[in-house]
Amino acid sequence: MDVSNILADHAEKTNSTQLLVEPDNPLDIDAGFLTVTDPNPIDVESYESSLESHLLSIARTGTQALFNSLFSLPTTSSPDGPLAQLPAPTTQLPRAKPLPKPKPLTKWEQFAKAKGIQGKSKEKRMKKVWDEEKQEWVNRWGRDGKNKQIEEQWITEVPMNADIDFDPKKAARDERHARVAKNTKQHEANVAKAQKAGTSANTEREAHKKELERTLAMSRTSTASMGKFDRKLDGEKKMKGIKRKVGFHDYMPSIL
Amino acid sequence: MLRTVKPKNARSKRVLDAREPKEVEDARIAIFVKGTKTGEVLNGVMKDMMALKRPDAISFSKKNVIHPLDAQNTASASSSTSSLEFWSSKNDASMFVIGQTSKKRPNDLTFVRMYDGKLLDIVEVGVENYVSMESIPGTKSTPGHKPLMHFASELFDTHPRFIQLKSMLMSLFNGEAVESIYLKGLEHVISVSLAPTPATLNIASASTESTTPLPKVHIRTYATRLLASGSRIPRVELTLMGPSMDLVLRRHTNPDPELLKQSMKRPKLKKTDIEKGLGKKRKNLDVDEMGNLRGRVHVGKQDLSKLPTRKMKGLKAGAFEDEHGDDAVDDDADNDQEVSTKRQKLH
Repeated sequence: MDVSNILADHAEKTNSTQLLVEPDNPLDIDAGFLTVTDPNPIDVESYESSLESHLLSIARTGTQALFNSLFSLPTTSSPDGPLAQLPAPTTQLPRAKPLPKPKPLTKWEQFAKAKGIQGKSKEKRMKKVWDEEKQEWVNRWGRDGKNKQIEEQWITEVPMNADIDFDPKKAARDERHARVAKNTKQHEANVAKAQKAGTSANTEREAHKKELERTLAMSRTSTASMGKFDRKLDGEKKMKGIKRKVGFHDYMPSIL
Repeated sequence: MLRTVKPKNARSKRVLDAREPKEVEDARIAIFVKGTKTGEVLNGVMKDMMALKRPDAISFSKKNVIHPLDAQNTASASSSTSSLEFWSSKNDASMFVIGQTSKKRPNDLTFVRMYDGKLLDIVEVGVENYVSMESIPGTKSTPGHKPLMHFASELFDTHPRFIQLKSMLMSLFNGEAVESIYLKGLEHVISVSLAPTPATLNIASASTESTTPLPKVHIRTYATRLLASGSRIPRVELTLMGPSMDLVLRRHTNPDPELLKQSMKRPKLKKTDIEKGLGKKRKNLDVDEMGNLRGRVHVGKQDLSKLPTRKMKGLKAGAFEDEHGDDAVDDDADNDQEVSTKRQKLH
C-alpha cells in the first residue's frame, strides 16, 4: 500500500492552510489583549463581490495569525490544563481609575525599612499555627486561639513565690488584654499619622501653626523669670517642660 | 457626588475594598442604558452585546432621558453627564452603552467611557443590517470567556476617529490584562473591519474633520473551531455566531487632554519585571546557560597604544626633539611617544 500520495495530499492541505497568503504589511498582534490589527487596505473587488465571504476570509487570516502567536507562547501547567503566559499588552488603553496611591508606612514598617529588617509580611503571617501537643493547626487568635491557651487550659502551674490570691488565668488574661490595648493604640496612632499625611492641603497651615507656637514659647521664656510673672491671658496653656537654670545666686543670695 | 461611605460591617468593607483603584485593573463594568425610545433593533443589539460582555454587564431596563452628546452647556447635556457619573459611582461601572432611536438619528448607539468617575469620551454610531445572535444557528460562546478581537483596515492606525473607535471597543470587550490564559477556552472572535477607504481619506488622512463620509464599520462575531493541523499550532475555522451589524460613525467627543493624560499613566515597572528584561535596557548583565545572572563589573584594561589620537605637527618624531630640545631632555633620553604626549598636555 502506498501512502505517499495521501501524505503528500495532506501536507499540501495543511501547508495551504498554514501558510496564509502573505500580506503586504505584517499584522500587528497584541497578544496581551488578544487583539490583532490588520493594517492592509481593504481589497475593493472582493469587498464588493461578496461582503460576507470577504469579511470571513480576512477575519480568518487575522485570527490564524493571532493563534499562531498565542500557541507559540511559553506555557505553564495548571490543574485545568496548560496556560499560555501572555506578554504585557502593547496597546495603550485609558485606565478606569487612577493609579493606587502608595499606603503610608506604619511606624514599625518605617523602622524596619530603615534598619533593613525583613520580617514576615502581614499576608504571609498565617491565621493558623501548628500546635505540637494537639498535632493540628489551631487559630492564632479567636475561638480556641493559641493566645488564649493558658486561660483555657484546665490546670495551670502557680509559681512557688506567688501571692496567696494569685490567679494565673487572670494574669494571663490581663496580659493578653494589655497586648490588645497596646496594639489598638499603635494602630490608631498609625491611622492618625496616615490621615495627617494624606491631607496635604493642610500641611502648610499646620507648619505655620507649629512655627507660631514655637515663637510664642520662645518669647514667653525670654524674660528673666522665664515667664513666671508675666500677665496670663485667658485660656493660655501652661507651658510644659520649662525649667529655670539654677545659678550661683540662687544658692547664695546672702553673699551679695 | 456621593458622600464617602464608611463600611458598617465586614461584608460591605470587602465590597468597598474591591472597588479601590488597582494597579492592574479588572475588566470595565459596562451599563447598558435605554434612552427614551429604543426600537426592536437596538433592544436586540444591546441584548447581544450584553451576552458578549457578561458577567461585567449591568442592564438598565427602564427608560432614561439621557442625551450626553447634546450641545454642551445645555441643561440636558449637563444633567446627562451628572446622571452618568452618578450611575458610574453607584455601580462601580466605567463604561456605558446607550441605545436611543429617533427620526433624526435612527438606531443610535452611544459608547461612553469614564475615568475616575468622570466622563472621558463618547463615540456615537448608527446600527444597520443587524442580525441577532438568536437568528443564527450554532453554538454560542460561554459567558465570561474572553473574546479575541480582530481589526482590519489601515484607518485603525491612522484616522483619529477609527483609532478612538478601536480603543473604545477594546475597552468594552477586551480591556483586561491577564497574565495567562487557557488557549482552548478562546471560543469566539469579534471582527471589526471597514469598508474600502475612500480615496479622499487616503490623501488627507491627517485632517480630522473632513466632509467626506467615513467608511462603514462591519462587526461580525465568529465562533472559532480549532482543528488539528499536524503541528503544535492548530488550524482555525470560523463560523458566524452573531451578532452581526454594520455601524456608521456619527457624533463623538474627544477626551479632555488633561484627563486623558492622567488616565494613561502606567504603574512603575516592578524590579522583577525589569530583571526579566521589560522596560529599561539592561547593561552589563546577561544570563548564562545555567540560568545564572552574570554582571560584568570590570572592563579589561584597554589597549591605548592603538588609540587614534590627534596628530599634531609638533609631535611628530624628530620635530619634537628640535623644538623643545632643552625641555624634553630631562632625565630620560628615550621617552616614548605616548609619555611625551601626556607631558605636552600637562604643560
